[in-house]
Amino acid sequence: MTIQANLPERFREQLTAEPLFSCRTDLHLDGNFGEQWIAVTDDMIFCWENDDRPKESISVLRIRDSRIAAGIGGGTLLVDTDEGPVALARYTATHTSMFGFAAKLIGALAKKAELPVVSERDLPRFCPTCGHPLGEGTGVCQFCLNKGQAAARVLHYAKPYKTQMATAAFLLILTTLIELVPPYLTKLIIDDVLQPKGTGSALLVFVLALGVTTVLMSVMQTIRGFIGIWVGSKVMGDIRNDIYGSLMRLSLAYFDKRQTSQFIGRVNSDAESMRQFLTDGVIYVGGELLRFIAICVIIFSLDWQLSLLALLPVPFMIIASFTILPKVGRRLYQQWRSIFRLNTLVGESMQGIRVVKAFGRENEEMSRYNGANLEVVRNNIKTEGLWQIIFPAFHLIAGVGTLLIWFYGGGKVLGNEIQLGVLMALVAYLGMLFGPLQWVSQMINWASNAIAAAHRIFEIMDTPSEVPDAAQPEPLGTIKGHVDFKGVTYGYEKHHPVLKDVNLRVEAGEMIGLVGHSGAGKSTFINLLCRFYDTDEGEILIDGIPIRQIGQSDLRRQIGVVLQETFLFDGSIADNIAYSKPDATPEEIMRAAKIANAHDFIVRLPDGYDTRVGERGHKLSGGEKQRVAIARAIIHDPRILILDEATASVDTETERQIQEAISRLIDGRTTFAIAHRLSTLRGADRLVVLDKGKIVEEGTHEQLLEKTDGVYRKLVDAQKEMSQIRGVGV
Amino acid sequence: MKNSFDIRMLNPAEISLSRNKGGVLQGVIDGQTYEEIVVYRAFPFKHATSYISIRKAGGEELGIVHHIDELDEESAFELNKELQFRYFLPKVTRVDSVKNKSGLWLWELQTHLGTTKMAMRNLHEHLQYPGGGRIILTDLNGKRCEITEWQALDSHSRNQLKEVL
Repeated sequence: MTIQANLPERFREQLTAEPLFSCRTDLHLDGNFGEQWIAVTDDMIFCWENDDRPKESISVLRIRDSRIAAGIGGGTLLVDTDEGPVALARYTATHTSMFGFAAKLIGALAKKAELPVVSERDLPRFCPTCGHPLGEGTGVCQFCLNKGQAAARVLHYAKPYKTQMATAAFLLILTTLIELVPPYLTKLIIDDVLQPKGTGSALLVFVLALGVTTVLMSVMQTIRGFIGIWVGSKVMGDIRNDIYGSLMRLSLAYFDKRQTSQFIGRVNSDAESMRQFLTDGVIYVGGELLRFIAICVIIFSLDWQLSLLALLPVPFMIIASFTILPKVGRRLYQQWRSIFRLNTLVGESMQGIRVVKAFGRENEEMSRYNGANLEVVRNNIKTEGLWQIIFPAFHLIAGVGTLLIWFYGGGKVLGNEIQLGVLMALVAYLGMLFGPLQWVSQMINWASNAIAAAHRIFEIMDTPSEVPDAAQPEPLGTIKGHVDFKGVTYGYEKHHPVLKDVNLRVEAGEMIGLVGHSGAGKSTFINLLCRFYDTDEGEILIDGIPIRQIGQSDLRRQIGVVLQETFLFDGSIADNIAYSKPDATPEEIMRAAKIANAHDFIVRLPDGYDTRVGERGHKLSGGEKQRVAIARAIIHDPRILILDEATASVDTETERQIQEAISRLIDGRTTFAIAHRLSTLRGADRLVVLDKGKIVEEGTHEQLLEKTDGVYRKLVDAQKEMSQIRGVGV
Repeated sequence: MKNSFDIRMLNPAEISLSRNKGGVLQGVIDGQTYEEIVVYRAFPFKHATSYISIRKAGGEELGIVHHIDELDEESAFELNKELQFRYFLPKVTRVDSVKNKSGLWLWELQTHLGTTKMAMRNLHEHLQYPGGGRIILTDLNGKRCEITEWQALDSHSRNQLKEVL
């Protein structure tokens, strides 16, 4: 079996055996950019740089182990030999996963262990056709996949409303055509009535006709406007739904890396920009384009020479528009980014307002805000200032055309070559023509805004979830609750594993206490079980089914969580308890609350179960919130229960009540509990001690205490000491 | 017993670093020989050449070097080199182009370590401004480059950057 990028023939022929693995790195050993090739065979490892001769070749027999030293933005592949460690290759972050695999392979070779099988995730992710790096988790290249331009995708949203859009378009055509009538009527009035001093009745007819067209135009504009608003609001609603849906679909890892307050602006204002473009923009562009063509036809039929003269500035305007368009787009993005930073700043300091006040840093926060604010102001002036140049410039260019018409047309009227009415009509039409052309700049503004917004929105929509749902999820039904961790390795930053090769078999109904120092990997353990993240290596099975193959909604239905930080949604206590089961009856809700030791305090509240727990449930104390959360877990009736520091932030008496509630809750369920107070875990069937991402001890409280040098023993001793200190203090 | 909660600043005289023939940093610290040494910058942005944490291969800290220049020549050279390996952060000498192509920002850069390309999903999450005219670029894969002072680059680069900063 070979796993290899195509090793160049000149290197290939130097090998005596078929290579097990070969790959190319993008750095030389001295740290410069450049190519280096590595090939691994059964008994040798070769490295080549520029020369045909290997720069390094090591016999596998000399190697004890291999590993990667992860740096920042890159890393080094090391092998440990009898004479000390050797740096085999250096690489940039692009190749991290591939070298992670290489290290494992070489390590396995050296130890004569079973060779690891390369998985798709280990291979460098480059687009096979154009060579650009692929995004995380996607197999499709951004460049080669023609997703269509952003504008086209925006238009897609109008599709469900095509009848309304078509009506609007039809009305648009009509209004445009009717708009062209008045100047022509004016021409007729001047040439056929006023100048020949015609009859008053003829004048009346023309004036009436003028009146009718004006009324018609107003009516149609109104209808069109209404349709526009109707379609626009609907489309905006659809876009917002889509963005929110995409956000809900994304994995926790996505949100870990980002400030959440930014999404509020994204969901709302970016949708608005897109809507504006879609309804106002498209109709506007369509209408103006149509009018432009119609006017051209009319004026050319009136006098083609003069028309040609008048249209002289048009090409300049078009060229100017296309040259400034990208610039405008970038400036708008700059402006958006500075506002984005400002928003992030506000979101951050508001969330941490207690800390700000406690340390008396209001003034510093003010000046931080001020700095970001100045940046926004500067960008605003820059971007908006651009319009202040563009607008008059367009006006000026357009004015030249009108001047030319007056000069040459006037001359022609004086020379009796054309009638006065024709000249008046031409001037009027030109006014209509150049009016909108000046607004081209406005359109550029809209379009660039919308496209910038669309890019940001599609960026969210196109971000693949890092925990994709299985294509054909296994039906789960009601599970028994066996949980199996098999060689699980995971790191929030890849190849900086927080959990390393964790193996654990849990029987249905068993209660496992997870113990360890902070940072030992306890919470990560639980996050993986909930499948908030996917394992880097190994797998987790529930009742023998890998959780990757279980539908996520199915999985979560079986898992209940009580966390240290309780989050209650805006709504009544009853709503919050019934969060996972909206159709729960009042009896069910009360029963759950009773089991959770919450019933009594809830009933005593003035509003009972209908008490509104506002943003973050501020009206309840920590212990009360905790018990509501337990009731929420009870009504969820999960087969697997997770308690993450459920009693960390409450006093002893409340802890006792919660403990009681929990002991009723865990009955018959597979339970994983994390607690800092080890006394809380006394009821556990088994304690699992994690240290630096590895399971170091396993057993009951008593068994673990017997190990005098054990990690658990030390933890218990340390806590005893602490409580003694406290005891003296009290 | 020494207080293990105190930061131990290493005396330049008690540290000597070199590279073994396998290309791995080794050293003698306070009379003790270590066949592999790992180095960290405590303040990678603000103090790139000061406050270097010297650690055993397992990660345990041996002490902190106050400033690289205080070390003997070989040690300073190897330490610098090792930091460059670990904090792979080529300095951009010229920005050839910055383009936005179907939702991806593509950078073509020349650095003091050679030319390279970067791809970013957007700019607001991939550019960092640690202060002054410094910019840290991070691409989709986590590869990073640094522009030490963008105003000091040639006019072509500045023009490319002006649009995106």
